Amino acid sequence: MPRRRFPEWLVLLLPAFIVIAAVVLIPLIFSLYSSFTPYKLTRPSTLWRWVGTYNYEKILTDAKFWAAFGRTVLFLTIALNLELILGLGIALMVNKVTWGQRTLRTILMFPMMFSPILVGFQFKFIFNDNIGLVNNVLQSLGSNTALPWLVDGKLAMFSILFAEIWMSTSVFAILILAGLFAMPRDPLEAAKVDGCTAWQTFRHITLPFLMPFIFIAMTIRSLDVARAYDIVQIMTGGGPARRTELLWTLMSRTGYVDARMGLANAMGYVSIILSILFTIYFFRKLSAARAELGMAG
Amino acid sequence: MKNSNYLKGLLASTALVVASESAVAAEWGSFDGVTVEAKLIGGQQYEGLYGRIADWEAATGAKVDIISKKSHFEIDKEIKSDMAAGTTSWCVGSNHSSFAPQYEGLYVDLNDYVSAETIAEFVGGNIGASTVGGELLMLPRAQFDVSVLYYLKSNYEDADKAAAFKSEYGYDLAVPETWEQMKDQAIFFADPPNFYGTQYAGKDEAIVGRFYEMVVAEGGNYLDDEKRPIFNSDAGQRALQWFVDLYEAKAVPAGTTSYVWDDLGQGFASGTVALNLDWPGWAGFFNDPESSKAAGNVGVAVQPMGSVTRTGWSGHHGFSVTNDCDNKEAAASLVMFLTSEESQLAESAGGSLPTRTAVWDANVAAAKSGDDAFRAEALAAFAEGAKYAFAVPPIPEWGETTNIVFPELQAAIVGDKTVKEALDDAAEAVDELMQESGYY
Amino acid sequence: MDRNLTHRNRRRVLKAVHFVALFLTMAIICIPGLWIVLNSFRPTVEIMAKPPVWTPSFTLDHYRAMFGGAGEGGVPVFSYFRNSMIVSVTSTVIAILIGMSGGYAFARYRFKGKGAYFVGLMLFRAVPGVALSLPLFIVFARVGIIDTHFGLILAYVAMNVPFTVWLTDGFFRQIPKELHEAAEIDGCTRWQAFWKVEFPVARSGVASAAIFAFLTSWNEFALASQLTRSVGSKTMPVGLLDFTAEFTINWGGMCALAVLMIIPALILTFLVQKHLIAGLTFGGVKG
Repeated sequence: MPRRRFPEWLVLLLPAFIVIAAVVLIPLIFSLYSSFTPYKLTRPSTLWRWVGTYNYEKILTDAKFWAAFGRTVLFLTIALNLELILGLGIALMVNKVTWGQRTLRTILMFPMMFSPILVGFQFKFIFNDNIGLVNNVLQSLGSNTALPWLVDGKLAMFSILFAEIWMSTSVFAILILAGLFAMPRDPLEAAKVDGCTAWQTFRHITLPFLMPFIFIAMTIRSLDVARAYDIVQIMTGGGPARRTELLWTLMSRTGYVDARMGLANAMGYVSIILSILFTIYFFRKLSAARAELGMAG
Repeated sequence: MKNSNYLKGLLASTALVVASESAVAAEWGSFDGVTVEAKLIGGQQYEGLYGRIADWEAATGAKVDIISKKSHFEIDKEIKSDMAAGTTSWCVGSNHSSFAPQYEGLYVDLNDYVSAETIAEFVGGNIGASTVGGELLMLPRAQFDVSVLYYLKSNYEDADKAAAFKSEYGYDLAVPETWEQMKDQAIFFADPPNFYGTQYAGKDEAIVGRFYEMVVAEGGNYLDDEKRPIFNSDAGQRALQWFVDLYEAKAVPAGTTSYVWDDLGQGFASGTVALNLDWPGWAGFFNDPESSKAAGNVGVAVQPMGSVTRTGWSGHHGFSVTNDCDNKEAAASLVMFLTSEESQLAESAGGSLPTRTAVWDANVAAAKSGDDAFRAEALAAFAEGAKYAFAVPPIPEWGETTNIVFPELQAAIVGDKTVKEALDDAAEAVDELMQESGYY
Repeated sequence: MDRNLTHRNRRRVLKAVHFVALFLTMAIICIPGLWIVLNSFRPTVEIMAKPPVWTPSFTLDHYRAMFGGAGEGGVPVFSYFRNSMIVSVTSTVIAILIGMSGGYAFARYRFKGKGAYFVGLMLFRAVPGVALSLPLFIVFARVGIIDTHFGLILAYVAMNVPFTVWLTDGFFRQIPKELHEAAEIDGCTRWQAFWKVEFPVARSGVASAAIFAFLTSWNEFALASQLTRSVGSKTMPVGLLDFTAEFTINWGGMCALAVLMIIPALILTFLVQKHLIAGLTFGGVKG
């Protein structure tokens, strides 16, 4: 009797599956279960009390939760779009440079070397209303007000967005730059011969070619948007008066400070769904863009 | 000059401790071959104390393994995670009176391991605040958290200012005695964005603690005997109005709602804040020319009083022993050592407030006989302030209520809600929490 | 003639605009980071000064204190650095190996439900660290790998594998199948064909996946703060919090440690710069 063997592809994929199952899947199942209990960290026995969908009902009827949810979607939409536009602009500019480009590219990647937690501390100090760099500069230039960067509703949102965008635009710029390098020369020259304006060339030749790169960048970013948690937690902690409260800050406060892990895990699941939707959306866009260029494998 | 005096004092008391160590070695017991695992709060000001652990190791033959050293909130998170995972076999943990009730069943009742005489050597109020449900959960390390009023002396030495103030407010300009006066003066001194009248911690437990203290000072309370929230009373509204008025008058930095203690300390040290309620631990820092622009211009007074009474919200650090510890005697010995008279003498030389009566007396005597007037003034203010100290309600839900209340306080301060709306909303949410927790 | 001149002027103006815009962008990118470097060399009073001091003085105090002993502000920098290095390098290498194996499977084999497997794998990367940290801690605590290099490496490998699978998949697809078929006809085993023919072509792609994985591990905080405890396993981002005490932040000291954290990442990025761009160019798109 021949021994049953795993197909080769499965053997090759197995390590990836095992690692992910051990580190992500098992904890996820655990937290899914605990989201149906009144689990309190400091009372481990509460893990065994089943309360059904109580936690979910509680958060879904909680205005504060929905406010945080909406704010998170808004935050992500603004951040990802601005990062894309800025990244595109930077990539186009750097692509035009003829010398010292390697150095420029390294500088471009500078923010990627900063741990998100460091970015949080850094901008907390830069935007400090009393001794922060920004207000110091403004006041030296003659302004006579101390702008409350981390307090005023709009300014606080702006500040955390700025920090997030500062940290992550590089990813877009580098990937789009890679796209520009890969761009074939012929269509561009043909367009020039046909008398296209710079804008027309960009709109109809460069941009379509870059689309897959843009969606790759989007996908990569949508995979780790939650890194913004470290930044927001340090800079504002979701405050003041919940003006910058995002799902992640709400969740970690509920889970760790209030020790209500069951409730926090229920929120966690809602936020995971959000991440998944963002990711699937961009994956679809990516496949579509690839298909358009005839690159589908 | 003053700085070097501190240093000398510190060196002297450390030397004293080292000399007396061999004599008292027997006091700590003998635990040859025992390893005590400890989770300690990290930070510069604790390093001196931890440096002394080697002496305890030498005296007892045991070894201390510091398995975690983190900031307070990080270590709180870690301990809660440990409770959840059941990994609580380490022995000694840093604790805090505001957090202690949350760790249900984690720590032993130290009454069983520490002699009554030893306990009697501590300040009674601290022992009371360390006791939850009749169990002494920790030995207090230092009575860190009774805030007093630091002020810039120059503001009270200027005749023009005094005259202008009198004509505007109708009473003499002097270091404020009441919260109301403090508000007037803060608004009077303020010249934003270059100079502010005062500032307050504006988020987390910090603002709720200050609010709590003021509610009581106005004659109200935070929770009633049944643990129902009653902070939305008239007293509560008056207390919150104080924060709102200061904010609206721009007498506090606009960012104050995002400040916690480090921002406050740095702000006052920058010399641009007239009045600052802050902790004893800052005294040395504020008057040290190396770290503070206000040095030499700092006065210290007892905290102001409310319309009804004078109060001081307080909390303190301590060290606890876990139930799952293998050798609780050794662990308790380490805790006693860390809070011993010698340890506290060494520590209080650096500015923190002791929890032992004898060390208080020694400190005050030393400051009086020395030539350090600032130190004497500060100590006198701390001693006076400490008389009014009371701790937060010893219930596990305290921390959680603060997380509900502080965003509402902020909402009132920045003008999103009226004082009454904010407090009613907060009280409603706290009420729900208390019902869920089964108090009534 | 005249038209030529305006044309040339216009080009000059455009060039100037380009230069200015580029300069401003680079300034915005650099200043917050350089500010950290600058502050690591300034005394604390000056950092916190108001009104601000614009002419910085220079001091090595923060560095001296950081490398000093306990009680003088010392932080076990070397241990943190070592832990970070061990964890980041090992997890990157393992993630790349597992990723290559997985990517190769996706690129070279046909099997049922391939697309679903692939997207499913990616989605695991989308789980936010904050949502994962506690359950992961409890599982790791039960197994007894809290506060070890191994635990952290395992977590980071899982975090990076989806991404490395994805990038390497793109690479292997782009290499024509005929290449390894030819090699196999020449008598190579599939394994030999892979190492001799396909791997060298995909090298720059692997390098770019590696740098992303390395930077992710090097900078990760949420999981590390939960899974590490003592000096024996704490990484540098977690070590940054040593400068926050209960109520205070030693900003100058934190900046000094931050500088030590950035330098290795900077050197590494500069070195693999060329591969990075080349890798990304061919990697993702042709997936």
